[in-house]
This record gives sequence, structure tokens and C-alpha cells, in this order.
Amino acid sequence: MQNLGDFKLPHFFNYPPYFTLQPVRDTREKQVQVWKELIIDYCRTQKIFVIGLEEEFPLFSNPVIERSLSHEAREAFLSALVSEGRAEWLGKGHRKCLILWHHIQDWADIILRFVKDNGLEDSVITVEEMRSGVECRGTELHGIDRAILMRALRLLEQKGKLAIFKGTSADDEGVKFSM
Amino acid sequence: MNLQDQYRMLGENVAKIRTDMMKEQLATFRSQLEEFARKHKSDIRKNPAFRSQFHEMCAKVGVDPLASNKGFWAELLGIGDFYYELGVQIVDICLATRPHNGGLINLQELCNLLRQRRKSDREAVSEDDCLRAISKLKVMGSGFEVVSVGKRKLVRSVPTELNKDHNEILELAQAQGFVTVDEVERRLSWTSGRAIDALDTLLDEGLAMIDDGHKDGKHRYWFPCVSSISTSVADT
Repeated sequence: MQNLGDFKLPHFFNYPPYFTLQPVRDTREKQVQVWKELIIDYCRTQKIFVIGLEEEFPLFSNPVIERSLSHEAREAFLSALVSEGRAEWLGKGHRKCLILWHHIQDWADIILRFVKDNGLEDSVITVEEMRSGVECRGTELHGIDRAILMRALRLLEQKGKLAIFKGTSADDEGVKFSM
Repeated sequence: MNLQDQYRMLGENVAKIRTDMMKEQLATFRSQLEEFARKHKSDIRKNPAFRSQFHEMCAKVGVDPLASNKGFWAELLGIGDFYYELGVQIVDICLATRPHNGGLINLQELCNLLRQRRKSDREAVSEDDCLRAISKLKVMGSGFEVVSVGKRKLVRSVPTELNKDHNEILELAQAQGFVTVDEVERRLSWTSGRAIDALDTLLDEGLAMIDDGHKDGKHRYWFPCVSSISTSVADT
């Protein structure tokens, strides 16, 4: 079986018709289902947060069988993820898609755990430190997409767990926890 | 006593002697078969080729070792449990692969999946064993059936009836795993309407998947039931 780096591709990836959007409803549902799982699994293990529909993406084509997904098919699979809350379109036109292998709520829980593990309950930390600082190494927050992190932080802000304040430039927004 | 009565009695006598003789022969035969089974118990359990021959022998004398799990045979050999277990695993595999193959699976692939699943089990499983287990499932009215398409056997776990046209297409598809409309028309000498009709039905039943990604621009109809997904590689 083929691999993409350390990622083991499922068998269907080598079966040509899975690259054509199936016309029969039942068959298409099953097809969409396996593609959804593949996209989520791949993004989670490779830490990919954004998929550009018109850009090169390893899952969108299989050179071994000389097949690639049409734009329509890409959009169909990602839309299916969006409708389940496991992805979101970025902007209008459906050109880029944010992949949420964790729901925003789950990311918020991960942040809370991170805060407790590091004893930051009453501290101040910058947003950038949360995704690339020493403390986050080895946690799921390491390398998290900034947009997703901000969404999760805002959710926690609404719940009164923290306050976000602006720094002097865009990349030094700070977070004050109050838990 | 008149002559007619005498004839009748004589006739009955002869018939009785004959029946007794046959009963005796059959009893001898059965006891020898039992003796044989006892002696070769472990071969029957471990060696699929031996097992298949034993089944054939049993069938010839009208003994069905799988007829009942409580019977002498099943108890002696424990093969009732063996086939029961196979049956359960076959149902499992058919259900698990149904989303992909529409409920029709190559016997060979089914057998491979069965062996993978029973890896820990040292007893080998043959296609003959699969067929026996399936025939037991059929008795339970589970809708499992074995259909022959060309040289291959396919196991059907959905109530779809395949007509002659569908069968011929599946047979044609065995070569490469797919067919095109052109190919069906040419090889089977069908009109294009007949070919498209049959292919559309197979699509609707979930037994075929369409592929319009080949560079020659021809639509291909793939049949997961004839081309095992685990072994399929690039088509040329």
C-alpha cells in the first residue's frame, strides 16, 4: 500500500472510481464518507489546518493510478465536512477551507488543560507563545492555526475564563487568564 | 391360500430380505465411516483438502455431518462449531465490505479476508469450507447465495437478482476490473441501448462505480466485486 510520508493511505485511494463523484446517491454517500475520514485523518496526523481548493494537496491526486479529484468533487467532500461542523469555509467563494479535526469547543478544552498543566491560571501569555513557545511543545497546541486558536480563545473569553487584549502590533496579542 | 396370495407373500419376503441386507450394508458402511472419522479426526480438522474429501464421502452415503450440531458427527468432530463460526465471520465480512462492493463479493477475496481474520487460528480454511458455511447460512433464510460468473464464484449478501445481461457484464469485467460501453457493445454484440441499460442498473444497485478520469476520455464502469480493492493496482 502507498504511503504519503509516514501516513498510510487507505485501499480505496488506489481504486480509480473513488476519484469520480458518483452519480448514484447511496454510492456517493459511501464515497463521501470514506473521503471525509481520509481528509480528517490526514490533516490531523500531518497537522494541516487549511486546504486550498485550487492548490496542490497530496490527497487530491494519485499519480500511481493517474487520477485526480475534480474541483466539484473537492468541494463536495469538504462541504460534507463543513455541514458536520468539522470544517469551515474561509471567506466567500469556497476557495479555502479550515479543517477542524477538533471542534472549537474541544480546542478550548485543550487550552484549559494547557493552562492548568503549566500553572498559568492567573498569568499573562501572548497568543504567539501559546502556539510556538516552550510550554506548548509536545502538546496539540504546538503549531495550531492562528485563526483556530483565536476562535477557541474568544469562546473562552465569552465564558469569562480569560481576557484578550491588544498589544502594539498584530502578533503580540495577549491573553490574561482568570480561572 | 390362493396362488395370488402366495405370490404376494413371496414378494414381500424378498423385499424384506433385500431391505434388511441393504440396512445391514449401510450400517456397516456407516460404522466404517465413523471408524474412519475417529481415526482421522485431527486430519479432518486441520487439513482442508482432507476435510473436503471427507464431506464428499459422507454425501455419498447420505450422511450430513453438519445437519445438526448435537449429532454424533458434530460431537465427534467438532466441525459443526467450526462451520457455525465460519458462517458468523462470513456474515461479518459481507456486511463490512458491503459499502464498497454493494453486497457482492468475490469468493476468493472473501476467503482471503476470512483467513486474515482467523490469523491466530492454525486451522486452514479453504474455499470449499466457505461454500459449506454459506450453504448453511442459506438454510437459515439469510439471503446469502453463491452465484457463478464465468470461472469465478461470487457471494451475494443482498437480495438483488442478477439477470443474464448483468452476469455477462460481470464476466467481461473480470479481465480488468472494469468495462466500457464500447467494450460491452463490441464483445457481446449488443446495441448501445442494451449495454447502457444494463450498466445503469448495475450502477443503481451499487454494484458498479463510474470512473471518468482516464485520459482517453472513456467512462469506465468498475466492479468492486470482481476486482478486490486490496489487490487492485493501476489500470493501464
